[in-house]
Amino acid sequence: MRYVLLAAAVVATLAAALLLGPANVPFGDLLASPIVWQLRLPRALLAFLVGGALGVSGVGLQALVRNPLADPFLLGLSGGAGLGAVVAIAFHLPGPWALPLAAFVGAVGAMALVYRLGLMGGAELDPRILLLGGVAVGAFAAAITTALVSLAEAAELRNAFLWLWGGFSGASWTTVLVMLVYAPLPLVVLVAAARPLDLLALGEEPAQYLGADVRRLKRLVYLSASLLTAAAVAVAGVIGFVGLIVPHVCRLLWGRLHHTLFPTAFLTGGVLLAAADTLARTVVAPRELPVGIVTALVGVPLFAFLLRRWTVS
Amino acid sequence: MRRWAQRTHLAALLALAVAACARGEHVPVGGGIAVTDDVGRRVTLAAPARRIVSLLPSFTEILFAIGAGDRLVGRTTWCDYPPEALAVPSVGDGMPPSVEAVAARRPDLVVLYRSGPNVTAAEQLERLGIRTVLFDLNLLEQLGPAARRLGALTGHSRAADSLARVVDSLASLPPVPSTQSLAFLVWDNPPIVIGAGSYLDRLAALAGARNVFHDVGSPSAQVSIETIAARDPDFVAVLSDSASPEPPRYASRPEWRVVRAVRERRFVFLPGQLFGRPGPRAAEAIRDLRRRLEAAP
Amino acid sequence: MDRELIVTVSDLTCRYASAPRDALQAVSLQVRAGEFHALLGPNGSGKTTLLRAALGLVRPVQGRAEILGRPASDWSRRDLARVVGVVPQREENLFPQRVHETVLLGRYPHLSLFGGVRAADRAAVERALVACDAVDLADRWLWTLSGGEYQRVRLARALAQEPQLLVLDEPTASLDLRHEMELFELVRALVDGPGLAALMITHHVNLAARFADRALILAEGRAVARGAPADVLTRETVERVFSWPVTIEPFEGRPQMIPLRQRKDAL
Repeated sequence: MRYVLLAAAVVATLAAALLLGPANVPFGDLLASPIVWQLRLPRALLAFLVGGALGVSGVGLQALVRNPLADPFLLGLSGGAGLGAVVAIAFHLPGPWALPLAAFVGAVGAMALVYRLGLMGGAELDPRILLLGGVAVGAFAAAITTALVSLAEAAELRNAFLWLWGGFSGASWTTVLVMLVYAPLPLVVLVAAARPLDLLALGEEPAQYLGADVRRLKRLVYLSASLLTAAAVAVAGVIGFVGLIVPHVCRLLWGRLHHTLFPTAFLTGGVLLAAADTLARTVVAPRELPVGIVTALVGVPLFAFLLRRWTVS
Repeated sequence: MRRWAQRTHLAALLALAVAACARGEHVPVGGGIAVTDDVGRRVTLAAPARRIVSLLPSFTEILFAIGAGDRLVGRTTWCDYPPEALAVPSVGDGMPPSVEAVAARRPDLVVLYRSGPNVTAAEQLERLGIRTVLFDLNLLEQLGPAARRLGALTGHSRAADSLARVVDSLASLPPVPSTQSLAFLVWDNPPIVIGAGSYLDRLAALAGARNVFHDVGSPSAQVSIETIAARDPDFVAVLSDSASPEPPRYASRPEWRVVRAVRERRFVFLPGQLFGRPGPRAAEAIRDLRRRLEAAP
Repeated sequence: MDRELIVTVSDLTCRYASAPRDALQAVSLQVRAGEFHALLGPNGSGKTTLLRAALGLVRPVQGRAEILGRPASDWSRRDLARVVGVVPQREENLFPQRVHETVLLGRYPHLSLFGGVRAADRAAVERALVACDAVDLADRWLWTLSGGEYQRVRLARALAQEPQLLVLDEPTASLDLRHEMELFELVRALVDGPGLAALMITHHVNLAARFADRALILAEGRAVARGAPADVLTRETVERVFSWPVTIEPFEGRPQMIPLRQRKDAL
């Protein structure tokens, strides 16, 4: 039943994304319009895929660090991506893919650094070390970014920050294809980890006694969730709140067992972000809001509402 | 005899003061110079500035244009016009200004463009006892007042006034009926265009080209490719300082080719030094733009 | 005929990284089916470490730990969870859940990777709840349960794994008299009836003496005494291990320890 509802929401959101926009495309011309085929459709699909990736990543990371306030960007990934983006602009790296690739490399670098920190001294990706390490790595990356910004030309970097705030203006069939090829592997790994993640909620030692290979599980979940997030950042900048809110919404509405939570989080995250992008494109037309701002504006009241319900119950 | 001389002296000063007030300058008792800059400060000099550091190419151009170029002891790396400016020592790129490098030139006046970092730099220079003056220079209308005040500060008021008159009359021209449309694109991901209330928008209007984003109130705005495609400008104008510019990299991507001007490679490349900020060569910029639009296929 | 050997620990020595001394030194233990073993000793004597090492969570410096004849380190966690059901000292509860959901977690070692929950699994959950007298709690939220009810539910979860060995780490630590007795009776019944093996770490020496078949006393990582409670719980041993004067009184054939009051001028 819930999947019927979600499927309907997906269809409705995608339809709205195709029909609405600053350009006035007459209904009859929709199928033939290059605006729809080259701009709106890949953009809607990309927003959906990125939203789904962030939702699933949020679920995985919240289970991993056993903290309902975890967000995919808490582990230093946004700082790393920002540094990569600024490096690409400041050093004028060539090619249209320089910016996304540099952001991806930056995010993965941050992930690797936090991973290494989490394993130091024989620790086994202790959630507290991961969180603290993420904050530290993020702050470190931000410091280097600030240093670069102060040394390089201001105007271009300001535009780099606009990109970093998140947006789908660069959406193309190529980026959609990249996500479609790249995302399934980490997604499958996470979905396969659904049952062990249910056990992990009891704590690491109880989970092991119930049959979970906790060591392997944590590494796989951390790497998969981080890689999904890094890909999302590379194609769309840093979009906050989706990875934080979507798991909670889905838990409240459709249950917290991970074999349900992963699919519902994917669909809900996709719908949410595609809808947010449509809003970002149309609300202040002809101008466009960065989509990260829309998710924050919508996400914060939603989060406050959920928090109230959670503490009351 | 003395009293009569004093009274005449006083009357003359008063007359001068009244006349000077009309142009925003004050002649304080004692014969010094005072102007009010765009941060609201009253800047006073005992005598015309002799060692000037200019931290904006447009100010450098103005100073040379009004005959005060020989007083320049420091410029930014971007100040390359007129060619004589290159002989003036550089104090860095000015973003933000290096207070030490500027102070090392021992100026008695530093001219800055008003921005956050520049206000901070000006405060630091003032603490070192160096006089600074900050002018707005985003719009064509701000060029005249800036030139006039620079003229007062350097004792070249007459030349400055004539330059200001030319620029002011240019600024008050009505827009030329437009035959072509364009969009100024300064960034591609996300797409950033120039709107009304900006120098470029004004130049376009005076050159007979309609900025398709003239309805957007702010000087720059983020839009989607779709909007650009929908408004279908005849040209896409890009700021580029390259000698033989090529279409930008994004022009070959399928999603950008939905925009007709991109698909048909109808780009106009505008040199940043001439078009980036209002300067004495504004009229030349307008002519240049009109020429490029007419020459394009 | 010997009952089946479930856990064998031989000469086990363990040391935690950067620790000044061994957590366990040459400890041996054998637990057979149908036996209730008590693991006693003061805080820090290595009881939980022995548990972890026996179940392959901690690598020994020396010695062996075997489950059903195979080294503990050879077992995958999943397979081991089908043989040994553990009720750990602490667990976390991040999100609200119901009793039947948490007991179902005990079936996870039996579920295939992408397979669903089968009728056999639900039946096992039902049996476990019955055995722990927790059937009427099935739909309750965990956070509404009392301490005693919560422990019964956790025990039911371990039973849902259908293990051969039940391991409990201080299960009665915060329970009142009635619930504590009920839990010991429950474990005894599971050992006597279905023939499970049970290994329990507890501080309640007297109840261990009455319910357990065998006891192992640890002190500072060493095995001090091993055997039937009557043989192990002597006054000399208890006073030495727990550093407190006691007297031993028999009750129903089992030694009961009564701590003496210590006056400042005595000893």
